[in-house]
Amino acid sequence: MRVEYINPFVEAAYNILTEVLATEVKRGELYLKSSAMPMLGVAAIIGLAGDVEGRVLFDMNRQTGINVASAMLAGMDMEPVTEMNDMARATLTELANMITGQAVTKLHNLGFKFDLTPPAIFTGENMSVSDASYEALIVPMELPMGKIEVNVAVRERA
Amino acid sequence: MKTKQDFPSINEREAAGKKPDGSSYTVMVVDDSMFVTKQIGQILTSEGFEVVGSAANGEEGVEMYKEKYPNVDLVTMDITMPKMDGVTALEKIMEFDKNARVIMISALGKQDLVKKSLLLGAKNYIVKPLDRKKVLERILSSLG
Ligand SMILES: [Mg+2]
Repeated sequence: MRVEYINPFVEAAYNILTEVLATEVKRGELYLKSSAMPMLGVAAIIGLAGDVEGRVLFDMNRQTGINVASAMLAGMDMEPVTEMNDMARATLTELANMITGQAVTKLHNLGFKFDLTPPAIFTGENMSVSDASYEALIVPMELPMGKIEVNVAVRERA
Repeated sequence: MKTKQDFPSINEREAAGKKPDGSSYTVMVVDDSMFVTKQIGQILTSEGFEVVGSAANGEEGVEMYKEKYPNVDLVTMDITMPKMDGVTALEKIMEFDKNARVIMISALGKQDLVKKSLLLGAKNYIVKPLDRKKVLERILSSLG
């Protein structure tokens, strides 16, 4: 996977998280995964299509999901959530949508044609993703609310 | 007992969501995220707008606009949605009512999308994340 593809996602994640959660965000070390890997418990996923195909996944544990959704809701003077309910899911998928939207816009300006799908969210213990034909690059983002792993897997269209 | 109305404040400005005759501008919100429909609804209601409906995809949005026509002053339209995207929905609403006021509100800021939306008749284009000021400014300039 070309590294040019990952940077816009990292920048967008940093910008959007900082802005909508009004908090400090620390970027962790990038790492590569190529086989099936366990997930943290809550994963918002967005498909990518265009010059490349793939997906971006925002992976976090349940409590982090609740904390992040609550912080985002608080930023709008809305009620926080105490469980992974519909509102928490809607909030986290929109967060994924905003980050991916900004990244795709950046990539577009660099000349890469990308489009995105509406987000979906998965929750559950012992989840794993295995997309053997993709290499995934992962960037952990450390927040006071917990860790969000931005997991990008794309490949050029054959 | 005295109520707030007995003390009109000199700093009290007109609520942005009110027409000159005192009635509210009516708004329809189209977005597939309940977070965003709540967020936009909250910003607008607090300024005196009346949210008359919300739809979760483009198809629903077009149907709802036709049902409520001519009682919708303004539509906020997301782009990335299931079933029918917001640009297609914009096109269909403009075909039905060439005077429709539609404002795009999307996480995507790609130049070609902005251009296409404005060419199709959108009054404005707001890139998420949203804040109160940004939303109200753009909406007011679209109503003016
Ligand atoms: Mg959307």
